Amino acid sequence: MDIDRRNFLKQGIFIMGGLITAGIGIPATTYFLAPLWHKEEEDWIEAGTVADFPIGEPFKIDFVQRKHDGWMTVEGRSSAWAVTSDGKQFTVFDPRCTHLGCPYRWDTEKKKFLCPCHNAVFSITGEVLAGPPPRPLDHLPAKVAGGKLLIKPAEKKEEG
Amino acid sequence: MISRLINWLDERIEILNIKKTLFDRLIPKGVGWPYVLGSVSLFLFTLQVVTGILLAMNYSPSPEHAHASVAYIMQKIPMGKVVRGLHHWGASFMVVAVTLHLLRTFFYGAYKYPRELTWITGLFIWLLVLGFGFTGYLLPWDQKAYWATMVGTNIASQAPLLGPAIAKVLRGGEALGAVTLTRFYAFHVLLLPALIVLLLAVHLCLVVRLGISAPPEKEKKP
Repeated sequence: MDIDRRNFLKQGIFIMGGLITAGIGIPATTYFLAPLWHKEEEDWIEAGTVADFPIGEPFKIDFVQRKHDGWMTVEGRSSAWAVTSDGKQFTVFDPRCTHLGCPYRWDTEKKKFLCPCHNAVFSITGEVLAGPPPRPLDHLPAKVAGGKLLIKPAEKKEEG
Repeated sequence: MISRLINWLDERIEILNIKKTLFDRLIPKGVGWPYVLGSVSLFLFTLQVVTGILLAMNYSPSPEHAHASVAYIMQKIPMGKVVRGLHHWGASFMVVAVTLHLLRTFFYGAYKYPRELTWITGLFIWLLVLGFGFTGYLLPWDQKAYWATMVGTNIASQAPLLGPAIAKVLRGGEALGAVTLTRFYAFHVLLLPALIVLLLAVHLCLVVRLGISAPPEKEKKP
């Protein structure tokens, strides 16, 4: 391999230029594509003390939901319906009717969830009994820890 | 593959001629390290543009969000520390490099005929670089930034006659606040870049057109 001064310098410039480009390009690309590997840190929200909740009867829980929006934390009031048969296992429902997102309620007389908008009826397990909803009530992840009920609220997604 | 592309371009727009004009220039004897300062400045400028664009993607120029968004870049975004670090240090290096480049040009007498225009555009570029430094310094919106800008605008207000007016225009009002931040951001990312790109284009065209001045020599005794 014979190499003269000119070509040696030329290659040296190319190699150094390549190193500098990579040195800046790799961090820059990582930074630019950051949203791709950004994990949304879902926080469990404390929804109350387990001992306070009725058994066998759905109840409504209200809580403050903190959402991260970039460098901001947005607080919003949110709610959910929950039901437990033993005080250990909780089923938590998204508070919006699966038809058009209206807030339904538990009717203590009829022992059913009723939605006022289009007369949808759901059972205590969230199954559709009557009306237009396309699917059963949505469940939210829930767990019990340290005597507290913890839930993960759903993202407010646009219906469409 | 690449040579075919180059040939394709060369047949149409004589790209090899352009390359020859830009890179295969004749250099006078005795040119050495002091002559790299212009290229160093240009490289640093490119670095500032790239890192600056990236920072602007996650920065919010308002009193409520500026500091928090910078913290977000530093703590939450992968490589955010690196990108901001490059911009931060690149800014200081740029002022140093452009100043040294200016001094080199002066002491080598390279500003003389026929290069007066290169010199004058260069001087204005130097002023713009200082402007970049001054306006960029406020953007993190921490104590240092705030008080440094307070001092800077106060110095401006000490100028006779026009001083108070200049300070008012810089601050966007009597006090240093939200409007100052948005103005400085506009200066830093819109106004100054537009001006410096324009002047740099002229400056570089002139350098290519006129070539590099030879280093000064001792007078030959007859």
